[in-house]
Order: sequence, then C-alpha cells, then structure tokens
Amino acid sequence: MDQKSAGLNLTIFFCQQLDPDQDVNRRALEKELGERIRFFPLPCSGRIDPLHLMRALESGADKVYLVTCPEGTCRYREGNLRAQKRIAFTQELIEEIGLERERLELIITSAGNPVTIDEMARGLLAREASVGPSPVRVS
Amino acid sequence: MITAERKPLTEIKEMIAPYRKVLVVGCGSCVAECASGGEKEVGLLASALRMDAKISGKELEVKEMTLDRQCVYEFIDQLTDVIDEYDVVLSLGCGAGVQAVAEVFPKVHIVPALNTTFIGETKEAGLWVENCRACGDCKLGFFAAVCPITRCAKGLLNGPCGGSRTECCEVDPDVPCAWQLIIARLDDMGRLDLLRKVHPPADWSKQQGKGPRKIYRKDQRT
Repeated sequence: MDQKSAGLNLTIFFCQQLDPDQDVNRRALEKELGERIRFFPLPCSGRIDPLHLMRALESGADKVYLVTCPEGTCRYREGNLRAQKRIAFTQELIEEIGLERERLELIITSAGNPVTIDEMARGLLAREASVGPSPVRVS
Repeated sequence: MITAERKPLTEIKEMIAPYRKVLVVGCGSCVAECASGGEKEVGLLASALRMDAKISGKELEVKEMTLDRQCVYEFIDQLTDVIDEYDVVLSLGCGAGVQAVAEVFPKVHIVPALNTTFIGETKEAGLWVENCRACGDCKLGFFAAVCPITRCAKGLLNGPCGGSRTECCEVDPDVPCAWQLIIARLDDMGRLDLLRKVHPPADWSKQQGKGPRKIYRKDQRT
C-alpha cells in the first residue's frame, strides 16, 4: 500500500535550492492533505539539526524525509554532506527508543533530473509504505 | 574543558523510572562545547524520553532548561523557582555540575545523564582529545606545551621509550608519540637544552590521595 493510501503523516525537510518556486508549488498538496503533510524548506539541507528531526517525529510524523541537493552541487559546499551525517546520528538515537531508523530517510536528488517539490512529494506519497503509523502517534 | 558523553538511554531510563515529572537541565559551558550537554542535547534527550514514554504507555512529563553553567551558585539559583514542580532532575552537567546542583537542592534527586570523561581540547569539529590530567604540578613549560603525563601512554618524563613507529605511539598507533612532538617542538624553538633537566617521578600526592582538592583565595572571598 502506498504511503498516501496508508494515511501516513509525512514531514519533508528539503533544500529550497531544489525548487526556487517551492512556496507556490507545495500549496496544492498542503491543501489536499492538510496536517498529513508538512513541508519545511531549508536554506540548505545542512541547516538541518537532529533536533528538528526529533521534534518532527514527536509531533506525530510517521515518516520524515530530508531532501538534499546532488552530491557536489551544494551551493554552500558541504551542506548536503553534513545533512547526511546528522540524519545518520538521529537514526541511531531513535533506534535507542525502539523506533525504526527507516522513519527518517535521506533523499539525495539526482543532478540531471530536477523536479518541483510538488512532484517530489507526490512521488514520495506514491512509494510503498515501509513503516506503519508511528507508535508515538498511536499509543 | 571538561568533556563528557551521554549515558546509554537504557541507563538513563532506569534512573528516572520511579518518577513522573522530570526536569532535564543542561549546561551551556564545557558539555555544550563537546556536544553532550548543551541546550540542543537537552532537547534531543527530552524528545527521546517523551517519545519513549508514549511508546511504552508510561506517563512522563519532561521539561527542559539549560543553565549557562551548572557549577556556579548564581546560575544554579535559576532553578529555585521551578525545581519543586519536578520529581527528579536529570542533569546534563559534568560531575561537578551535578554535585553543585545537589548541594543547592539536597532534597531533590539529581541524576547524571552524562559520563564525565576528561579534560581536553576541541581538536577539530567533532573531535575532542584529552590533554590534561589535572596533576596539580604543571610542567608544560619544560615540554613545549605537550604534556607527557597525559599524552605519553607511559607517562614518561625524561625522554621517549624508543618504541614509537612513524611518529606514533607503540601502545596506541592512532596516537602521536608525545615525545616525538616534544622534541620536534623544542628543536624548532631552539630549546633542546630543556631536555637536560632530569625530572623526578611525578608527585601524585598533588593530585590524589588526600581527598577532594580545593583552592582557597582569601582575596576572592566575600
């Protein structure tokens, strides 16, 4: 069953360099899904902090995505590399409390295939659900 | 600075298991610098504990607070107005901070979330290394500011052991040979003459064996 049909809450942190018109492009999905989808544009994916990811899970997200620029293309040089390390750190932390590390997923976009945030989010919603509703939300 | 690392969550959970209202208190000094006990780490730990409680079906209220320092009364006093609302204080201070808070609030159970490790420096982002043992008898001036007690695995004071390979210690090949560093630096600054001094065995009574040490400054006392 895909994530949209499964009724999962998604939170998507993304580098806003990926889609300069992201504030417009995500409105349709936000209107359609309401609280079930939350977008957090970042000036660079390197701005992400493990605390943001934890708060997203604590707020009821079943799955949290962090979308970075392709390797070697970060306008701030290493932001996407730092983002990878921070999500890995947070995955270890959530495993300590029994949450699956798959609830946090890193998406490294590919250079030759730019997509809007709307297209990307719809693609993520169409993916097969690898996790169920978070036990933090349903307990 | 003093460095520390967070205890495993299982250990922390065991310590706070009997309680329902937890105040997680961080410290904005040394432990913030080594990314173990500052405001961010307080947030991470508190978030993890709250989620864990929800998953387990336990009732747990976790609040967060960070003091600039946990080892000075004037900062600890900021807890006075709030501490009575909680059953336990989970401190992300170093051992000194945990105990200092407990001195001010002896009736409150203060538990440590960190294992205090060593005195060291931030070598690079994300890397902290020990460089001082607080021996109480600093001889760094003789050793080009490379402490042979801390950084030589054998604690040698009068020259290398001769076992180093490619400038690294034979005890731990990931560690640069302290004596290699000492001699190279003294040579660079033209002070190899300092090696002529023979140092007697370290006087460890300045560090241990007489209970907790203290420093008393009459001019600083009120």
